[in-house]
Amino acid sequence: MGKKILSCLIVLMAFVLVTSVSAKEKVYINGIDANFPPFAYVDKNGVPDGFDVKAVDWIAKEMGFKVTHKPMDWDGIIPSLKARKIDFIASGMSVTDKRKQEVNFTVPYWVITQVLVVPKDSTLTVDQVFSNGNKVGVQRGTSEATWMKENLIQKGKNFVLREYDSSPLSVEDVVNGRIIAAAMDDSPAKDAVRKRPVKILGSFGMHDENFAYAVRKQDKELLKMLNEGLKKLMADPYWEELKKTYKP
Amino acid sequence: MPVTGKHVVDMMESVAAIKEALPYLLHGSVVTMGLVCGAMILGLTLGIFLAVGQVYGGAVLRSVIGVYVWFFRGVPLLVLLFLFYFGLFSLLNINLSAFTVAAIVLGLISSAYQSQIFRGAIVSLPEGQFKAARALGMSDRKSIFYIILPQALRLSIPAWSNEYSIVLKDSAVAYALGVMEIMARAHFVASRTYEHFPLYFTAGGIFLVLTYLGTKGLGILEKKVSIPGYTR
Repeated sequence: MGKKILSCLIVLMAFVLVTSVSAKEKVYINGIDANFPPFAYVDKNGVPDGFDVKAVDWIAKEMGFKVTHKPMDWDGIIPSLKARKIDFIASGMSVTDKRKQEVNFTVPYWVITQVLVVPKDSTLTVDQVFSNGNKVGVQRGTSEATWMKENLIQKGKNFVLREYDSSPLSVEDVVNGRIIAAAMDDSPAKDAVRKRPVKILGSFGMHDENFAYAVRKQDKELLKMLNEGLKKLMADPYWEELKKTYKP
Repeated sequence: MPVTGKHVVDMMESVAAIKEALPYLLHGSVVTMGLVCGAMILGLTLGIFLAVGQVYGGAVLRSVIGVYVWFFRGVPLLVLLFLFYFGLFSLLNINLSAFTVAAIVLGLISSAYQSQIFRGAIVSLPEGQFKAARALGMSDRKSIFYIILPQALRLSIPAWSNEYSIVLKDSAVAYALGVMEIMARAHFVASRTYEHFPLYFTAGGIFLVLTYLGTKGLGILEKKVSIPGYTR
């Protein structure tokens, strides 16, 4: 009796596993953070859109490969890449030394400045934000979150870092008044200013960063292909068109 | 707070945002229901075997099932999702989609809970039922599958519909893996439009409707399959 039940369990598990694995034609999967407008988001119809999405589509067409865009949680995007759930990341990822140990980056395509977003009527200065035990928001798992911990909090600045799932959620809490400011890349900050009663206070001393696409260490061919495609794209008039459309 | 023109405009904007996002969110409810159905069916199948094993099995099988139930009831869903998605299946070199992994994990957890529902129903049946079936010459297996389980499963429906609503709500956590269910979609649209409140409100509303429909349907099923004259 017991043995039979056990073998039934095993057969059932095997069935579930086998039916869900099927062979398909190779389509590259680009993992995106769909909470990162204007670089990556989903449009009204739920289709991935944004500066990075359209850029990759152009590169795929130019270089002759197929690509789909898969919205993911930003926090787990590098583990997903390493676990082969996705093949590369083109979604406003900053090049950092720490990430370089995990993945390979293409040539940089965008320079990004880190800024603070505050309520429209705020009169605080950058120094005042990082004092008095103020609460400051940031997206979890980002380079700015790491930088703020290492260069501000550990050096004795008196404020509390609140980590969010996405930059728009931190902006929402700035508007709600739960936090006094939120740190993020200047592009999503500009997007927030267009849509919510907030303003950009300015840079807070973090160095500029480069955006590049990330691929697995062993995927040398894909890296070469993306690099070549990116260089072609940046030399093409379409690149200027993208900038005009998405205003990153 | 007095209602001003600005509030009215805000309200209208919120309604417009909900209207625009609704088809996209409703499409997410198909994904959610896929997750829930997959998980409930896997949980039902495994749960029945686990329950039968726990009631009628030998000491070794009983303790193995005990550990299984203890594990899946004791570890948080989010931990199991990450453990299976990034850990176990990657380690075994099986590349499953986030959807499949979420359905399997929800199903395994649900099987642990469902097994306890069925076990309770089986032991609540009068002992004479099993003895009578054996006395009529039925084998152990026949007695369990034709006499015990049909009654036990009927008794389990109310608790099972409770389990359905729990799995339905738990399925929202699958958004952490990037499964495009209701919550993930609400989150994505909110990031683009900055209409957080109306969108989460709508997502909650869709979950409420799905819970209502499911429990209502199971209530009808309970009446349909009830044995005439058999009162609990």
